[in-house]
This record gives sequence, structure tokens and C-alpha cells, in this order.
Amino acid sequence: MDTRGHTRNRSGVRPTRPRSSTKGPLDADEGPLSSPLSPQAARFIASQQASPRTSASLTRSPAQSPAPSAPSVSSRDFSHLLRPEIFHQLTPISLPAPFRNPSKQPSPDTPIPELLAQGQFRAAAIASVQALTSSPVAATTAAAHPPVDPHDHARIFSLLYTRLSCLCLIDAVPLAAQEAKALQDLNQGFYLDPIDGSHLMPWELRVLAIRLQTLGFGDPRRAVMSYYDLAREARFEIGKAGKVHDNSAKELWKHRLAELGVKVAGALVEMEDLAGAANHLASLKDQSGDGRLAMSRALLWLHLGDVDAARWSVREGKADQTGERVVSALADMADGSYESALEKWTAMKDEMDENAADDEMVGVNLAVCLLYLGRMEEGRAILESLVNSGLASHTLLFNLSTMYELCTDRSKQLKLSLAERIADREASSHGWEKTNADFKL
Amino acid sequence: MSHQRYPSMDPVKEPHSVSLKVLRLSRPSLVTQHPLTNPLSTAAGARAQTVAASLAYQSRNTTSNPDPFLLTPILNLPPSFGSAYVGETFSCTLCANHEVPPDAPAAPEQADAARRPKKYIRDVRIEAEMKTPGSSTVQKLALGPEPAAAPAASAGDAEADGSKGTDLEPAATLQRIVNFDLKEEGNHVLAVTVSYYEATETSGRTRTFRKLYQFICKGSLIVRTKVGVLPAAAAEASGDEDKENRGDASEAGAKAKPSETTKPRPAWILEAQLENCSEDAMQLDRVGLDLEPGLRYRDANWMVSGSAKPVLHPGEVEQVCFVVELEDDDGQGGAAAVEESEDGRVIFGVLGIAWRTEMGNRGFLSTGKLGARITR
Repeated sequence: MDTRGHTRNRSGVRPTRPRSSTKGPLDADEGPLSSPLSPQAARFIASQQASPRTSASLTRSPAQSPAPSAPSVSSRDFSHLLRPEIFHQLTPISLPAPFRNPSKQPSPDTPIPELLAQGQFRAAAIASVQALTSSPVAATTAAAHPPVDPHDHARIFSLLYTRLSCLCLIDAVPLAAQEAKALQDLNQGFYLDPIDGSHLMPWELRVLAIRLQTLGFGDPRRAVMSYYDLAREARFEIGKAGKVHDNSAKELWKHRLAELGVKVAGALVEMEDLAGAANHLASLKDQSGDGRLAMSRALLWLHLGDVDAARWSVREGKADQTGERVVSALADMADGSYESALEKWTAMKDEMDENAADDEMVGVNLAVCLLYLGRMEEGRAILESLVNSGLASHTLLFNLSTMYELCTDRSKQLKLSLAERIADREASSHGWEKTNADFKL
Repeated sequence: MSHQRYPSMDPVKEPHSVSLKVLRLSRPSLVTQHPLTNPLSTAAGARAQTVAASLAYQSRNTTSNPDPFLLTPILNLPPSFGSAYVGETFSCTLCANHEVPPDAPAAPEQADAARRPKKYIRDVRIEAEMKTPGSSTVQKLALGPEPAAAPAASAGDAEADGSKGTDLEPAATLQRIVNFDLKEEGNHVLAVTVSYYEATETSGRTRTFRKLYQFICKGSLIVRTKVGVLPAAAAEASGDEDKENRGDASEAGAKAKPSETTKPRPAWILEAQLENCSEDAMQLDRVGLDLEPGLRYRDANWMVSGSAKPVLHPGEVEQVCFVVELEDDDGQGGAAAVEESEDGRVIFGVLGIAWRTEMGNRGFLSTGKLGARITR
């Protein structure tokens, strides 16, 4: 994001910050009917403006009883989402050699759910496109990934979600952002059920597509606005479920609404409006009660540099005990008190080892802290032991590779042998493939 | 940070047995994540599971990950040099490593002694100097960590004392950290000299090399100040008000004396605009005056109004304001005398601005002496 263009005065208008209001659609407690427009009606109007082509079939209000002449959703043709030119070829150029070894690749007739369970996200992304574009390379793969029917919207959207999420998981977010553009306006009438006005896409796809389209179209504000659109819908659904006493649906939508609130904060952080994100997080209510929101606030304050506010965010049981201790150690590091942070990380690691808990973060942060104290060799040993115990997050590999760079002129060999060690592992749902960037290669 | 190897002062053409590696130690950063719902669990109505692979790190039986939030508590080492700004402390780690030739096994006891003479690296020393744009000489830098903090195990017989070198086993590292307060804009050069004694079974020699690392330090904050005279009536009113406030807190004997109300004491308004000219957001931490004797000031900013500390995004400006006045002189009841310069100016003192950036990184600047022409 180019921030240099924003030469803004404090008193001036901030173009990238969405207008705040005292009554936001993210406030679940508000009556769902206080909004003059139902989400369906709002979407309906939007669809009329956005795509006159499809609006002709939707001139009926969804609130009215379905007329027999209403076109069935099964007659709708989604073949424009299946065009092969939408999807990119995945090249293995960003992979270290050990991950390109053909013997390590899953067989092409492995079904997609199995690929996902094994963490073979690249293969799953390729397989879903073969099904979407009806371009299997062999008869066996055709059997495993049968071509999709252009009228079967449920399977199309499920495959699209698999494709886009797997691209994200293999660090190909820019490609996913380009491919998500093909969905165009997510609120257009074409994606709505003509009878009850509900959205045909699964919720997950809509949420993911918002982030990807934001990146694809290069408009950071888009994410915030679109999450608010979804939040309006979630509030409507909460009210609807409440009226018919459907408690599980109500809880589901409340959970989605709370998640959207946190996602808005993340979107604000990504557009570097940190003060706005802090204000927004402060306005959210912790409904889950597990202290995650307090933890989120503390991390944002740390990111912003306000260490006292971070400590304050998790005090007095606002976060659980783990959260409070983690924030306290991070705050010490932010203050430059690495000795005191080291004590805290060490104590947490020792306790975890006793209680059969595992937290990769504590080990990694302990090692980072040691480096800042001039004790890199101890830190490196801790990271090596984490790798040996089967962990392999991007951060763990990146930090270990950084230490390799510091401790020898021949770090490339160490990095390659690390890549080999990781590639030799059995694939698991945590993912198998790693990129050159993970090893700083 | 660009670096170059200094033309060798070493007559030996053989490659060095010790390498030097550096990393700027800006604060570590919080890693971001984009939690994704598992494609397998997208059945309608069910509360979806997060794919473990989309989280920043793995954990079992703990609750540290704030999923679905973007920021996570796991820390990344600095990925690059970044930008260096005036007012910040530059920290850098220097690592001298005993390089083992690629064809020799790492463990010396397994080495075929007949094939390659065993080398011992003794007495490794690191020295660092900084050349700043304003001075023609270099500044010698102190190397951390303190001897007490360095464990003996980290580098063999570790004596972190600057006067004594460290012996390095094969593939072992001597790590040091330097800190330097950046006060000037422009080109800085960090010069690092490594010396060591290279011994074989039969002979030995002292070898030295030097590496230069150049970086540019940029301005982070532009400060513009303006001083105005507070109108006499306003000064009187505010002075009284202030006295009342203080009267509550301190002794009751400090009641307003009649002589003071008839003779208003001079007061000035000091305004300052602080503009963030860096590329990162900063949060102002403390902004205050360090005044000459005989003067006091009242803050008229966020502390007084109880507002949050201002966050300045790149290019943004925050305006601050202080009321500067003469201090009470307890002995005579009148206003204290304040030193006046020859051209009739009164010198207030300096404005100090402390801020913090990502992960609590600190910055501090103070202005030159500020003052105003005295009005009679």
C-alpha cells in the first residue's frame, strides 16, 4: 500500500478511514429492524443498479410469496466462472528443490478432501481447477475430480473456495487476488436465490473473496465497507433466528458477526490506520468471554508502540492468564528489557513442558529474545529443537534461517539441508510445502 | 545497509578462518495471519473450523492465538535493515564465526589430522566504530552484552571483556551487540574490525580484517515553534486559577497576594507543530519543556484533556501548546527574576519530544534553545 500519497492533516478528512458512527451494524445488541432496509431489499436495490441484465428476473420483492413463474436457481448458468483463462498456472519456481521432488507429490487421482487432509494444498488447488474447467489431464484424474455442471452452483462455489483458500495457504495470495476478481460484484442479484433472497455462496467464500478482491482491485477501503455489508446481513439473520427461536442459527450468526468485527480491525491495520483499528477494537464487546479480544487489543497496542496500553488491555482478568503473561513478556521486549522478558519466556516454556502443552510461539519468542541478549547460539539450539519436534511455521523457519545467516558464510547449505529435513516429513494437515522465502533462499 | 570489505591489511592471501556477519536489531515484529475456514467443514449451518495451516503458529492446549485477529504474538526477527531515523537508537549485532572449510567435518576430533592441519582460533576480538556525517573523527562504540550477562557456555571460554579475546571452537560464534544514538541526518559508516590468532600445531599468526557498513539516517520529525505573548489580563486570570488549583494540593498559605493582582506577571504561549516526516506511524509519548531556572510551564495538550496519546501517521501534524510563565519567588512574594540576554530576549529552554513506533521502538528529540523577546 502506498502511504506516501496520503499527506493528511490531523484536522483534515481522512479518506481511508470509513466514517464511524455511534450505532454500527456490528453492534449485535441493536434491534435488527432498526435499519430501514432489510439486507435483501438493500441488495436488491444494489443489484438493480449494478447489473440491469439480471435485475429483470428479480422485480419481485423477496418478501412476497414466490410466484410460480419465478425462475428456478437451478436454471442459472455459472459457466462464466469456469473459463480456463481465469485460473493461473502454478509454477514451482518459488519452491526449494526438495519440495519439487516428483516422488513427494501426491498421485493425481487423490480426491480433493484427502489432499486437504494431507496438507497438499498445491495439489488441491490444481485439482479444483481441473474440475472447474473440465480439463483433467487423464482419465484417472477425471474420475477423481469429475467436471462440474455449470448449473451446480453449490459445487462450483465449494471448488472455488477450495481453490482460493489453497492458493492462500501456499503463499500465492496475489494469484488468488487476481482469480477472485472474476466473481465481480459479490452482491449482484445473480448470486441471490430468486425465491428467498439468500446468498448462494457459502459464507466462507464471501468473506475470503472480500479480502482477495480488496487486494485484487487495490482498494483497501473496499474490505471495510464489504465487511460492514456482511455484518448488516448477519444482524438481520440474528433477528430472524431470534423470532423463530432457532438458537443454534442465532449463535452461528452471532459468532459470524463477532468475527466480522475483528476482521474489520485487521483490515484497518492492513491499511495502516492503526489508530482507527485501536478505536474500533475498543468498541467491540467480548462476547466469547475467552479473552481473545483483550489479547487482540494488546497486540495492536504493541504494534502501535503503546506498551502501557498493551499491558493495561490484559490486566485484571480481561484476558486469560496465558494471554496476560504473553503480553507482559512481549511488552518487556518492546521496552527493551530483554533480560526480564527472557525470564518470563523461560518460565512459560518450562511450565508448558510440564503440562504437556505445546506452543510454538513461546519457544520461538524465547529464541528471538536470546538473540537480542547476545546469546544466539542458545536461541538457535531452541529453534532446531522445535524443528526436530515437527514444527515448521513460516516464522520458525525464517528466524532459524536468519540465525544461519548470522553464524556462517555458508548459510545456504544450512538452509538447504533444513529444507530437506522439512521436505522429508510426512505430509500432515498442517501443510507440507514451504517456499524459498521461508528459508530466505 | 551496504557493506564493503576494507582493502585487506593482511599480507596473507589465504581466506580468513573467521567470518563477520551483522544484523540490525530493530525491534522484532508481530507476525500477521489470515485464518481460513477449512474447506472440508463448509457445510451450511455448522460453525466452521479454522485450517491449522493458516494460523501463524501451532499450539496445543494453550490459548495464546487471537484467531481470527490479524496480529499474533509470535515474533519475527527483522527481515531487512529498514530505515534509520534521527532520534532512534541504532542497534546492531556483530557475529564473528569460526568458519569450518566445507570439506572438513564439523567435529575436529573426527577430522583426518594427517590430511588437514587442525586450526585453533584464539583471542577473537571485535571492535566497532561509527563515523557520523558531522564529525571528522570516528567514535569508538561499546560492545555488549556485559560480561556478566554472557554465559560462559555460549562461546567456549567467553570473556566478554574488551581487553581479552575469546577462543572459538569450529563453527562457534562470538556475538556482540552495539548501540548508538542517531543524532544526525546523513551518511553513517559502521566500521567493524575483527582480529584473531590463528594457530596450527606448529605455528601461529595474528590476522585482522575490517568491514564497513554504510547507511543513511533520515529525519523523522519536523518541529516548528512559535512564541506569542499571553495578553496580560488572560495571564492574570489563568495565573489565579492555577494558584487555586495548586492551593488545594499544597499548603493553604499560598493565597493570592494583592500586590500580584495589580502587577500581572509576563506569560507566553509556546506553540509547536510536530510533523511526522518518516515512513512509519508514530505515537507521541511525552512532549514537554525543559525550562531555565525561574520559569515554569503548564501543559495544554492531551495530558490535560485526558485524551489518548496522539498517533501520527506519515505526513500528519500534531499541534501542541504550552503556557510559559515566571515562577513564584517564595522569599519576596513577587515573580522571580529571569535571565535576559543582551538583546532583550528571554530564553525559555528546550522542547523535548519522545515518541514510540512499531513494537515500542523509542525515539527522542529536543529542540535548540527557544525564547522570546521580552515586552515591557
